[in-house]
Amino acid sequence: MKISLSWLRDYLRTDKPAAEIARILTDAGLEVGAIEATGVAIPKVVAAQILESVQHPNADRLSVCKVNDGSGTPRQIVCGAKNYKVGDKVPLAQPGAVMPGDFKIKVGKLRGVESEGMMCSSKELGLGEGTDGLLILPPETAIGTPLSELFPAEEVFEIEITPNRPDWLGHLGVAREAAAFGCGELIAEEPSLPSTNEDSSVAAIAAPVAASFYSIRRIDGVKVGPSPEWLRKRLESVGLRSINNIVDVTNFVMFETAQPLHAFDAGKIDGALTVRFATEGEAFTALDGKEHKLTAHDLVIADAKGPQAIAGITGGVASGVSEATTSILLESALFEPTVIRRSSRALGISTDSSYRFERGIDAQGVLTASARAAALIVELAGGTSSAELVVAGSLPPSHVVSLRGDRARSILGIDLDNSAITSLLTKLGLKKITGEAALGFEIPSWRNDLTREVDLIEEVARLHGINTISAKCMGIPAASSEADKAYDFARGLRRRLSGGGFHEARSGTLTGSRDQAAFAPKGSGGVVSVRNPMGEEHSTLRASLIPGLLEAVSRNLRHGTDSIRLFEIGKVYQQEQPEESMRLGLVMTGRRAPENWRGKEEGKRSLDLYDLKGFIQLLGNRLEPITFRGTTHASLPLALEILIAGKSVGILGVLSPSATRELMVGGHQGQIVVAELDLHALQAANGIGFSKDPKKHGSLPKFPTVRRDLALLMEAATPYAAVEEAVLGAKEELFSSVIPFDVFSDPEGVKVPLGKKSLAIALTFLHPERTLTTEEVNEAVTRIVAKLREAAGAEVRG
Amino acid sequence: METQTPALSSQIDQLRIEALSAIAEASDALALKEARVRYLGKTGSVSLLSEGMRTLSKEERPVMGKLLNDLRTTVTAALDEKESVLTIQADAAALASIDTSLPGTAPGAGSLHPLTLLVDRAVQIFRRLGFAIADGPDIESEWHCFDALNTPADHPARNEQDTFYLPDGRLLRTHTSSIQIRTMVANPPPIRIIAPGAAYRRDEVDATHLAQFTQMEGLYVAPSVSLADLKGTIEFFFRELFGAGTEIRFRPHFFPFTEPSYEIDLRTEALGGKWMELAGCGMVDPAVFEEVNKKRGDNAYDPEKVSGFAFGFGLDRLAMNLTGVSDIRMLTENDLRFLSRFTA
Repeated sequence: MKISLSWLRDYLRTDKPAAEIARILTDAGLEVGAIEATGVAIPKVVAAQILESVQHPNADRLSVCKVNDGSGTPRQIVCGAKNYKVGDKVPLAQPGAVMPGDFKIKVGKLRGVESEGMMCSSKELGLGEGTDGLLILPPETAIGTPLSELFPAEEVFEIEITPNRPDWLGHLGVAREAAAFGCGELIAEEPSLPSTNEDSSVAAIAAPVAASFYSIRRIDGVKVGPSPEWLRKRLESVGLRSINNIVDVTNFVMFETAQPLHAFDAGKIDGALTVRFATEGEAFTALDGKEHKLTAHDLVIADAKGPQAIAGITGGVASGVSEATTSILLESALFEPTVIRRSSRALGISTDSSYRFERGIDAQGVLTASARAAALIVELAGGTSSAELVVAGSLPPSHVVSLRGDRARSILGIDLDNSAITSLLTKLGLKKITGEAALGFEIPSWRNDLTREVDLIEEVARLHGINTISAKCMGIPAASSEADKAYDFARGLRRRLSGGGFHEARSGTLTGSRDQAAFAPKGSGGVVSVRNPMGEEHSTLRASLIPGLLEAVSRNLRHGTDSIRLFEIGKVYQQEQPEESMRLGLVMTGRRAPENWRGKEEGKRSLDLYDLKGFIQLLGNRLEPITFRGTTHASLPLALEILIAGKSVGILGVLSPSATRELMVGGHQGQIVVAELDLHALQAANGIGFSKDPKKHGSLPKFPTVRRDLALLMEAATPYAAVEEAVLGAKEELFSSVIPFDVFSDPEGVKVPLGKKSLAIALTFLHPERTLTTEEVNEAVTRIVAKLREAAGAEVRG
Repeated sequence: METQTPALSSQIDQLRIEALSAIAEASDALALKEARVRYLGKTGSVSLLSEGMRTLSKEERPVMGKLLNDLRTTVTAALDEKESVLTIQADAAALASIDTSLPGTAPGAGSLHPLTLLVDRAVQIFRRLGFAIADGPDIESEWHCFDALNTPADHPARNEQDTFYLPDGRLLRTHTSSIQIRTMVANPPPIRIIAPGAAYRRDEVDATHLAQFTQMEGLYVAPSVSLADLKGTIEFFFRELFGAGTEIRFRPHFFPFTEPSYEIDLRTEALGGKWMELAGCGMVDPAVFEEVNKKRGDNAYDPEKVSGFAFGFGLDRLAMNLTGVSDIRMLTENDLRFLSRFTA
């Protein structure tokens, strides 16, 4: 909402500068976003006439002019512009003038020739962009006239008006608030209320739920024409276009009082103006020429012929004021905000009028605005206003709200006494009418937002100012919640992951349905979609974190990144319960380590399934370790189920070669490995870790382990799991662990026969209470070797 | 019997000179080991001389025995000393061969997302003030998101243009304030919570807008909570976050669920030294307590007995300012060149 400062000053006597007024309004809750200055406010810039112009002796591009600025003595000015001729009148900044950008005009020499000022372009005066040439003033301009008179300075505030304060949608309301906050004195005339008369042949309400009050004033003998300069300037300053003197007055009064008005051409109105709901499908052509099909929810002002206006929103083209209009019917009314809001939205018409009616208007203002507009119309367009206002319905009576001083003091943490509270509220036009313990206040008609005690407490806080309230910072501490535990687990996990070389990603919840179908646990049928998405690409709530991570991989590969490790901790969504759950998503591809000078030794290897598998195992707990089981997955040709205590908690896999090629750019090699785990299950498993059972954590082995290495030869297709199973299956009492440390097969069939592979394992043995003997270890190894042969077909190599 | 003492004695002297010289000449551990074997080994020179003892007379033996012992002690000491010198030299040489100017070879470090770091800083500050974390679903009912928060049925925020709706009429929460309601419905006062989380609005995505953003919500409800408590809490928080010199301005505003309501502006060097609108806050509107009571079916949140404050702020724009990012989409694009700037 634009508030013109010079207009505001019509109602506010203040000597404060714009910036100070803006600060006070902002502190009061009218946030001044910007102060837009127009016109010229620079002293010592006057209209001057160019008397002669000669070439500068030392500079091709400059001229030396003599100008008359009305001071009696011609001034010599050096000038670079070319767009003038001798005799033109132009703005002259005299020595001492301070131009925008704090540029001070002084007498000085330009290329050796004295210059006593500067002739200005419109740009230099801050009057807009324009060209670089001098601003040529009209020939009739009097020499010596200050530019600030030719282009009066105007400052306009851009104010954000909160929806609870429709009274601020007019300059008078803003002035009232400014005065209450000590910005000056309100200049307001006591309104003289007109005499009223009910006459249903002129105005009637047929829809009392939607309009409580309707009034019409007839003005005959008006002459429609252009508005005077002052009125046009006022309207332009708040961004309105001048139309004609009648319409301009209604707009002016609306921007003064916040009361929307409408003028009908009386000659086009047939019979009484009735406020009624439209009939379904009734047609109406608005002032802007657009046709609308109305419904029974739209409130209209209709005459015998049909709707002439959509109540509170727009007039109709048929009864609008035109050049030919000689009599008008001036409407001022009180419509129900919800009805106007619904219509405005349904019809897609938002006007200055609907904006105000939607928020609620000043009930008493309906009468005063009508009187104000009538007086202005008669003044500017002539004619005679009828003595009486024809009304229908009634205006709501004023209401009283009570306030307990103790309550205000307790909620605000202040110790103002009741009389101080009363004097604050009185500044806003509230009248104390009762009480001491509970103060009763009559609420002014423009403050429909004040209906409850807490509303008055808010006003006390605003006027008293939060800056004067001394801050306290105490409270009852809260016990930590399940959400705290989940947060702490995720926090620790994030740090472990970033320590492990993973970068944290954050992707949006809303994605394309196609992306999600590939990784949704239950396929595309189980995903949740929004019914009003911003395009298909943002239509579906993610069912998996993997698509977002793959998108990040693709983007980073395009940027030439050669090693990618990303994780994301976030919510996924599905139709079945739990509808929302937290997941950990992981993806890795590319070099295992950053390139370095060790060459072959490390770093050249590409990340693969085993890297992520190993990392995921680290996220488990020794007592409830993470295990894996081969599974099938629609989008992962190589997929493992991630298990904790035998229960599936996620998936690990390698992207298909074709999908990989789609993502890979620039010859990037290697697998793209992805995983997703349920965070809650991971947290639950980690919870077991901190046990006080001494059997689990308390004792450490006192005797050394014995290690034996075995080189095994077996069928290439035999999985390592079969070997491990066989070793464990031997159930050797002294056995402690088995680690594979080399896997080898020879495609030439030389070192290892074709179809076979060599697997080296290290076995360790341990007795908790004594040192092992060579014999007992040898015997155990022999039994294990036998079991390996029998269960896994593995022979010890010679 | 002719005495052999002089001959043996001179042999011992000779051997000492020879051994000490060999030891002195040994230039590495291998040569020294050879010397040790040559002189002190089982078949070494000193041992061979000791063999000769057997031929000596009873009187000569102790004398020669002592001389031989001295020889063994001297050679052993010389060997040990030389060994320690060589070890020191070898150790020094081994270290000297390392080119310390080659770059280090740590595995690639990971990073935490700037929003995570910001949320975490905020969480840690509020925890110091005794706040616990609360959460709630992103898919929310209209009642939790709007009705319970005193938002009229025809409020513009409830439009299909502004809010994402699911086919079943539920919505993606437009603010984390719905968590206030969930927490109060589930727990009696006192309540002292913060709730970081996602919120959604149907904004066209551009350099300064996302359709999804990150917010943090706070709520304190207890007997006699006042505006002074709100002010103190907010000031403490932002000064902890941005430094003691942070200026904080409370500007009266309007929110349906608080009264009085304020917007909070900050000015701090950390955010470029300009006033910046950062947060909204206020005293919980009694109408919100009444709605919660209705849902709970009791009067636990009697507005005459408890009062409270609530606040909320967006973290995305803050993260943009703190990281110097001019396009908000950087926060969701997961570009490693950006992410790797932030360490945990």
